[in-house]
Amino acid sequence: MIPVWQVILCVNLTLAVGLGLGYAGWGRRAEGLGRDLEAVRVRVERLERERAACVAGARAGEQQWEARGVVRGIFPDTDLLVVTHEEIAGLLPARTTSFRAVSLKTHDALQVGDAIRFSLRGSTLEEAAIVAITGW
Amino acid sequence: MRLLLLFALWVHLVSCVLLVGAFFMLLLAGPSQRPTARRWEATVTNWSRLLVLLALASGIVGLLARTAVFEGRPQAALEPGAVWHAVLDTRPGLIWLARHGLLLVLGAFLMMRANLAGTRNWIAARGEALMLGMLVLALVSGSSHAAAVTPDTARALTVDVMHLLGTGVWMGSLVPLALLLRLAGREAGADSRPYAVLAARRFSRTALVAMMFLMTSGVMNALVQVESMAGFAGTTHGRLLLAKLAVLVPIVVLAVVNRRRLLPALSGPDVTVGQPAMRHLAVFIGVETALALVLLVLVVAMALTTPARHAEPVWPLPFRFSLDAVSDVPALRWRVFGGSQLAALGMVAVLVALVVRRGRLPIFSGALALIAIGTGVGLPPLVVDAYPTSYRRPLTAYHAASIAPGMSVYREHCASCHGATGAGDGQAAAERRRPLVDLRSPPASRRHAGEIYWLVTHGLPERGMPGFAGRLGEAERWDVINFIRLLGAVVDAGRIGGQVEPERAWLIAPDFAVSVGPLAPGALRDYRGRRMVLVVLYTLPQSAPRMRALARSYTLLSVLGVEVIAVPTNASAQAIRDLGSVPPVLFPVVTDSATDIVETYRMFAPGAHAELLIDRQGYLRAIWRADRGDMPDTAVLTRQVEQLNEEKTVPPFPDDHVH
Repeated sequence: MIPVWQVILCVNLTLAVGLGLGYAGWGRRAEGLGRDLEAVRVRVERLERERAACVAGARAGEQQWEARGVVRGIFPDTDLLVVTHEEIAGLLPARTTSFRAVSLKTHDALQVGDAIRFSLRGSTLEEAAIVAITGW
Repeated sequence: MRLLLLFALWVHLVSCVLLVGAFFMLLLAGPSQRPTARRWEATVTNWSRLLVLLALASGIVGLLARTAVFEGRPQAALEPGAVWHAVLDTRPGLIWLARHGLLLVLGAFLMMRANLAGTRNWIAARGEALMLGMLVLALVSGSSHAAAVTPDTARALTVDVMHLLGTGVWMGSLVPLALLLRLAGREAGADSRPYAVLAARRFSRTALVAMMFLMTSGVMNALVQVESMAGFAGTTHGRLLLAKLAVLVPIVVLAVVNRRRLLPALSGPDVTVGQPAMRHLAVFIGVETALALVLLVLVVAMALTTPARHAEPVWPLPFRFSLDAVSDVPALRWRVFGGSQLAALGMVAVLVALVVRRGRLPIFSGALALIAIGTGVGLPPLVVDAYPTSYRRPLTAYHAASIAPGMSVYREHCASCHGATGAGDGQAAAERRRPLVDLRSPPASRRHAGEIYWLVTHGLPERGMPGFAGRLGEAERWDVINFIRLLGAVVDAGRIGGQVEPERAWLIAPDFAVSVGPLAPGALRDYRGRRMVLVVLYTLPQSAPRMRALARSYTLLSVLGVEVIAVPTNASAQAIRDLGSVPPVLFPVVTDSATDIVETYRMFAPGAHAELLIDRQGYLRAIWRADRGDMPDTAVLTRQVEQLNEEKTVPPFPDDHVH
């Protein structure tokens, strides 16, 4: 007959190994699933932006971001618009940024200090350009 | 329902503590073949089975009562959905599940009738039960106040677990030890008397270590949960802790008597000394246990009250001690210093009296006299008036949005007596017999905000100051207190000029909202720890050249870690447009709530144009005023900024509320 102390030792070892394996199996898998979920969420948001860009006539792979801000500088010669903007989800935190603006010259009425809504389109931040501007 | 919860938690905690103590004491005493010792072991094991059942039952009742308290409906205790939600969807619920699962395992283990012949088997069985009991007890921490401490949750939990396990080892062992001594103290228990004496001696040594553990972890717990004397004396949680200490004192006295008098007597002649001492020790330990049970009631009550650090303290005494009371009077400072040294000498003498054997009484008497004289000499100068709200936390932050309204309230209700600047030179002050205190002076500015709140609320009838409780709302009273604090700060700010004093950050810059157009507003404090801030109060058109210069040097300032926040003295939604587009002004220009900021910061720097440099921690470090003609050029400004960048001492972030 097995002595009691050996039974207890075996039970404790089994519990410890079970806990370890449980973490190694399910615990780590749960952490991995959490990361995957976050990645999928980011991807879905990106696809939604791509779909919006596509509807508006963009090229394949381009995304579209909608944002709001206040105009701080207008440079029609170089098609640059400096905007203090709110957070642009998936692109930039709230800050002042200089953006390339398509056909900036057509917005004659635009002045420094104007509050605007604008659409940014592009596949990366460097490529992104303002394609539409409306009043806030 | 709360009473039922308190009772259920107390029974549960007592059961868990006794379970740990029972198996710890069995292991400490060791296996024995003597009949009385075996009978004792069997009794303790049987009690343990009952304790497991009691812990499970009280745990279930506690869960139901807690569900009712959380849901705010007594009937929720009997709704399976609500109970299920409390168990599976809350962290304390999951910990409850784990603890009761372990209790079931322990119960099943204790129900097994295993053959424990052989020392290894015996130790393994008792050790297993002890380990499971300790796990159950340690998990109590997971749903305690310690689990809610942030940051350093792990450290708080570790300390709390140590405290709980120390309690289990010391307090839980008292009952089985008393039972063993009682059994062995009888005529029929003579066979196990040496075994009982050995167990008592081992326990005495272990209890000493456990008590030190308990005291250390208790002090560390108190530092985290209570934080201050105000929390200790002025909150329910703190007073429960005080009551706990009061119960602990007789327990410690009994423990000392047991250790120093009764324990040595156990080795005396059996019938005349040893046996009676054993019976007395059993009775004394029984009394100790009864007191310990009262102590656990207080522990559970503390677990059910808001921790002192989160509660609003109500100061119970008409006075408090403050070093600020003597900081400006050298003679009093020396008196306090002398008194403290005498008291310290007295305490050293107390320690000496405890160590030496000869002349203990005279040394002890002299020590007490020294402490009394030192206290009598040193403490009275530190006494200042205190009120129930002395330690109350202000309702509103030290923010321009509070200071500016406070200024209006002050002008309307206070300036006639206290004067426009708080100097006590208002028109109505001349009619008073006693001069009014200067609100900007150190004695006034060092008073706790809660004390000024009490004076504003209730007045000082004996000095003719009316109370404003009926005329001003609570927020308005706090606003005026923030303004009074600013009055003192303005006087201090006179020492700050255009040159940064290295490593000397002391004047807190009032916070304000940074609203640029319709964008979501930020705050000055958002820059803390990240960037320095140059607050520019400007008036157009006078400030136009300076604003253009700042716009041109903004890139350089940004690189150096400075954000410029421009605040127009003539508040306008068009402020950005008014500054023009050449050169482009890219730093934040406040277009909303600028009036509050201007009113607040103009107290530091009046005039059409002024600039204030705030360091990364939120302290005001340099002030330039156009009316004094000391506006810096870019080179001067960057030198000051570089000086701040080179500072090695980083002061703590200032509190958002005045004290």
